[in-house]
Amino acid sequence: MSAHDWGDLAADGSADVLLDLALSTLDNSVGYADIRLVEGEELRVYHQLGHDPDERVEHTIGIGVRVLCDGAWGFASMPLADANTPALVAQRALATARAGAGAGPPVRLPPGEAHSGSYATEVAIDPFTVTGADRDALLHNVLKAAAAPTEVVSVQCGVNAKRQHRHFASTEGSRQHQHLVETGAMLVALAARDGDVQRRSYPNSFHGNTGGSGWEFVLSLDMPTNAGRVGEEAVQLLTAPVAPAGVDDLVIGAQQMSLQIHESAGHALELDRILGDERNFAGTSFIRPNDVGSLRYGSPAVSIISDPSVPGTRGSFAFDDEGTPARQARLIDNGIVRNTLSNRDSAARADLAVTGAARSDGWGYLPVCFSTHVYLEPGSGSLDELLDQLKNGYYIDDNRSWSIDNQRLNFQFGTEVAYEVRNGRKGRLLRDFSYGGVTPRFWNSVEAVAGPEELRVFGYPCGKGEPKQWGFLSHAAAPTLVRGVRTGVA
Amino acid sequence: MTPELTPPLAPDDLLHTLDTAVQSKSADDIEIAVLARAGQYTRFAGDVIHQPQDITEVRYLVRAVVDGHAYRTATTVASHLDTAVRTAAAGARQRAKTVGRSGHTTVSGPQPDGPTGRLWFDDVTAFDAAARVTAARSAIAAAGAVGGEAAGMLGRALTQQAVATSRGLLRATVTGEASGSLTVSVADGTAHWIDVGRSADRIQVADSVAWTVAQAVASQRRQELPPGTYEVVLGAEAVGELLHFLPALGFSGELAAAGLGLTATHRGEQVAAELVQVADDAGADVGLPIGFDVEGVTKRRVVFFEHGRVGDPVTDRAIAASLGTESTGHAHIAREEVPAPAAANIVMTPGESTEAELIAGVERGVYLQRFWYTRLADRVAGTITGVTRDACFLIENGKLTTPLAGMRFTQSVPGCLAGVLAIGRETKSQPVMNVWNGATSAPPVRVAAFRLGAAPIEGGNR
Repeated sequence: MSAHDWGDLAADGSADVLLDLALSTLDNSVGYADIRLVEGEELRVYHQLGHDPDERVEHTIGIGVRVLCDGAWGFASMPLADANTPALVAQRALATARAGAGAGPPVRLPPGEAHSGSYATEVAIDPFTVTGADRDALLHNVLKAAAAPTEVVSVQCGVNAKRQHRHFASTEGSRQHQHLVETGAMLVALAARDGDVQRRSYPNSFHGNTGGSGWEFVLSLDMPTNAGRVGEEAVQLLTAPVAPAGVDDLVIGAQQMSLQIHESAGHALELDRILGDERNFAGTSFIRPNDVGSLRYGSPAVSIISDPSVPGTRGSFAFDDEGTPARQARLIDNGIVRNTLSNRDSAARADLAVTGAARSDGWGYLPVCFSTHVYLEPGSGSLDELLDQLKNGYYIDDNRSWSIDNQRLNFQFGTEVAYEVRNGRKGRLLRDFSYGGVTPRFWNSVEAVAGPEELRVFGYPCGKGEPKQWGFLSHAAAPTLVRGVRTGVA
Repeated sequence: MTPELTPPLAPDDLLHTLDTAVQSKSADDIEIAVLARAGQYTRFAGDVIHQPQDITEVRYLVRAVVDGHAYRTATTVASHLDTAVRTAAAGARQRAKTVGRSGHTTVSGPQPDGPTGRLWFDDVTAFDAAARVTAARSAIAAAGAVGGEAAGMLGRALTQQAVATSRGLLRATVTGEASGSLTVSVADGTAHWIDVGRSADRIQVADSVAWTVAQAVASQRRQELPPGTYEVVLGAEAVGELLHFLPALGFSGELAAAGLGLTATHRGEQVAAELVQVADDAGADVGLPIGFDVEGVTKRRVVFFEHGRVGDPVTDRAIAASLGTESTGHAHIAREEVPAPAAANIVMTPGESTEAELIAGVERGVYLQRFWYTRLADRVAGTITGVTRDACFLIENGKLTTPLAGMRFTQSVPGCLAGVLAIGRETKSQPVMNVWNGATSAPPVRVAAFRLGAAPIEGGNR
């Protein structure tokens, strides 16, 4: 049986009937409309030191309708209770649009082509067929390994899997059916002694790591072996020297770089932010629409690419959530801003390219600009070669804290670990490392990026919009050499 | 025609559905919580209402228990509820079989009602799309009249919560909600307002628009402030942001159970100033009070600071059992997270002074309206980092003078609370992200010392 053969909306034909019910409710006053019909199921299992395991399977099914009517957008969504729901939601979307019509200049959406097709995540081992006993055995071993040192006082570990049927139709004639699966794992350990607390995590410090694939993704993480390391390192940090403050050269590890990309590149390049649509909550961007094509954002070593067509990531898909086909877009090319993360509405207003970055959380929320699979293009060489190039400085990784201003300009990050590097060799472990800077100055200080063999991919959740919704995306990076970074800022 | 605001689920049908479902004999115990919300939002930016939304969400959260072992399922539609109950029961049976010894999970029996703030105001009905569009247009026009722009969101919602268990618990409630937030930009000056509560009239949209526009006008031509430690007046929104960190500093039960955080290490000790009183309080008539949690447990008022002394953590049934106490009614299941008790209506007790009076008491200091992107930097010291945002001013001789550019800060939250010199009387509330029906309510405060600026290291790629 396929990993996609489950639920009420597995059959594209069944979904088409419901999509038609929504579309048929709309009259000629509607300039554009799209319908998203989504069924999802999410499995989460957590083991915690000193507590019973917690396991849950959450099912969701619903429909969201977005209309452009009388020059105004309207959006409505609702759980799919029965066959009357699609028409009801469409009517509410129309009423919502009409209530706001006339408040400002009319919205004009350039006509688009119809895009139809199907897509399914490649899955080797369906995570929903893995037995509970196998999941528990894995997490039991992870917990036991991480908690082995007596100083470890708190451990949380877990595995997660999600499967979705995402069906889309628009008044332009698009019909799309995407069947997605993602799987992941997380581990966080806290060690405490004499009033001090230190934390280590694996494989990503923020909600673990999730990939667009099956249980094979979890197996590839080798969680039990890494759990032992995580527990021991949390204890080692308790007695490690505090990292000094100064201006230093750094090799930043792949995980920390993935968050650096997320915060200071991904968000900064969202076109709805650039245009001010998100200024009330998420903020704006230091990048202006007319910077595209000319702004030197980073050094020539920096190329940042959006490519949801890369398989296996949490940001992989064939069509975004307003039906634009996935494609590669070079956002930063050899240091110059070339594209933004845009949707159709924002691209039309800014007269920029549509890059297919309209994303929404399930059926309940309207699409906004989010990262897709956005990654730093690798350079060449191994981590050891990069450390040789560094000579003296620090190797840091695994985010501990992060903060950036609302223009995505002034940032400050802390990492769980830092290692002294002297003459290209990793030395002492240091604790409480932090660094800060200003986005374009930081990226212009990038001297080199390690090669493809060092590239690692991290799946993230992210929040945006009002009301806030979740976006699910990914970033990839290889260790990166940056010169002259302000450290010890926290 | 504007969309009506009605409960997502017919109340009588819902109770009947739950009462029937929890009678299932497939597990030792069944618990079902329903979290439903009909929310309508008018979101605007620049000169258009760009994202009006009408969102109905429903979650049936099922927990089955077999021999003390639990398994949770959830669904969005009643037609899947039977399946959810069967799946949960099968999962709990499997877990009990795998473990081979009794677990610790229990479900609630009948609960007495507790005091709650007022849950419904008729003015929410009148805060419909037409009223919100009119208010949004007024904000856009007011900002435009001073050469600026407005962006914000006005909303109303109807929240429905119900819990039933096989131990005879069956309770439900319906609450209203009104919310508003606004950013006004005038040249380089910006100002922000946010409030949320059960009443639309109480958030005072018209007055708040006028205040925000005036603040934005005044905050133009910003100057850089040298890093240093300053006496400050924190606006209500900034104080609320600091209070968001209290659960992470130890006022959440799972940290206390691990022996971490303020309630585990400093309970009863004087950590904040004598003036500071903070509690998680479903009985408060501010924020988003609601009477019980997803386990059906009546919420208790949990004191975080009583005259500055450290109080207790919020708990759910499992954490309370591990601490040897009774649940405080704060069970919570957040998206993408381990289920853990969550503070849901944090309230700082207001004082007597107006914000202007707080400012008048400062000879030389800084007024900070809003913090942004704050994150915990040091768990032990309770140090957070973030940036200041929107209308911030130098205070000179008791008056706001030079507008200040945003800047980074790194500051201990307990250290800040220890330095509270005076507390204002005008409380504003703001939602807590990723917490169901969560809010923090705070007045402005005057604080003796607040560190602004990153560590003073010169150079680097700044």
